Amino acid sequence: MKLGVFRQALLLILLAEVPAIGQAVYFRHKISWQSRVPATQLVNLPTVRTWGANVLWVDARASDDYETDHIPGAISLNEDHWNELLPQFLAQWSADRKVVVYCSAQSCNLAGEVARRLRDEAQLKNVFVLEGGWEEWVKNR
Amino acid sequence: MKAIYLIPAALLLFLPALARADLKWEQTSVDVNPTVTDKQAVGHFKYQNTGDQPVHFKSVKTSCGCTAARSQQDQVAPGEKGEITATLNIGDRVGQQVKTITVETDDPAHATTVLTMKANIPQLLELQPTFVFWQAGEEPKAKTISARVGKDIPVKELQITTQNNQFEAKVEKGSEPGVFRIDIKPKETKTTSFATFTVRPDYPKDAQKAFYISARVAGAPGAAVPPAAAPVAAASASPGK
Repeated sequence: MKLGVFRQALLLILLAEVPAIGQAVYFRHKISWQSRVPATQLVNLPTVRTWGANVLWVDARASDDYETDHIPGAISLNEDHWNELLPQFLAQWSADRKVVVYCSAQSCNLAGEVARRLRDEAQLKNVFVLEGGWEEWVKNR
Repeated sequence: MKAIYLIPAALLLFLPALARADLKWEQTSVDVNPTVTDKQAVGHFKYQNTGDQPVHFKSVKTSCGCTAARSQQDQVAPGEKGEITATLNIGDRVGQQVKTITVETDDPAHATTVLTMKANIPQLLELQPTFVFWQAGEEPKAKTISARVGKDIPVKELQITTQNNQFEAKVEKGSEPGVFRIDIKPKETKTTSFATFTVRPDYPKDAQKAFYISARVAGAPGAAVPPAAAPVAAASASPGK
């Protein structure tokens, strides 16, 4: 009797696995929370804090969000106004400072895009994306 | 005995399929191809309720603030068709932009659907790199920026200007159509300075777009850069020059 119930439970779990596996295969490239930023370009907040003053924060969120609140000293740089904001950022940049870009959440790819353009277009080195983004900063400020 | 357990389990699994709401999407991924003059990229996601129960939209959320999405209605009656429109503000974005829209409904079979809009934004002008710099004391040699016009875009001339006369710029046509070479050099590198060059292609005529190149002579690490203002210097390149 006990074995029968166990086998039935197992059968039901196996039945549920079929659509689950199908969905996992079908959506393998469409996972909304998947970060497109390579792990080597991500940095966590405790590590950034060890860098002290040698950090240049970049806020990749929309300008309205930046105006509302931002990490002290952060410079606004987003793709809505990239051409206009980039020179303002570059005027503050120096080779000895690490650039840390953040946006509103890890699932948001704005920071990843801004970091990529800084590396590819302005050819800057030492550009990182903050793990957990703005929310992580707010939680630990 | 086994049937006592299996039959209710099977009923639980398959009964909901007999009478239900069923929102069918024509496609959950769309590609949009705006032109160089477009300010927005718009994607349409069409749906139909093929079930016999109404479907209610609980929420429609986009993956970033640059994209807005709206549904034509809050409730979709059985058999009714409609669409969700997603609008991406292009701003200064270039290349392929992938934005997702998460739609939540009260349809238990499709409670959450992720719609994907891929916008292929043409690049009018690619500057590589957009930033050149010299260390203080470095030989003030010219640094070259490659300017490449996007495919099939009829740019014939680039004009470059700056308000900082501590730097000089020269534009020359490259070896193939749509390619330019921009040389920038500081007059000297003894003092720190920073300049922003504005690059204007001659197309589109009625909606000229500006691109920027930054040039800097950096002092000691972390040194502040004084803003510089001076008469405008201009250079341009066109066929025959």
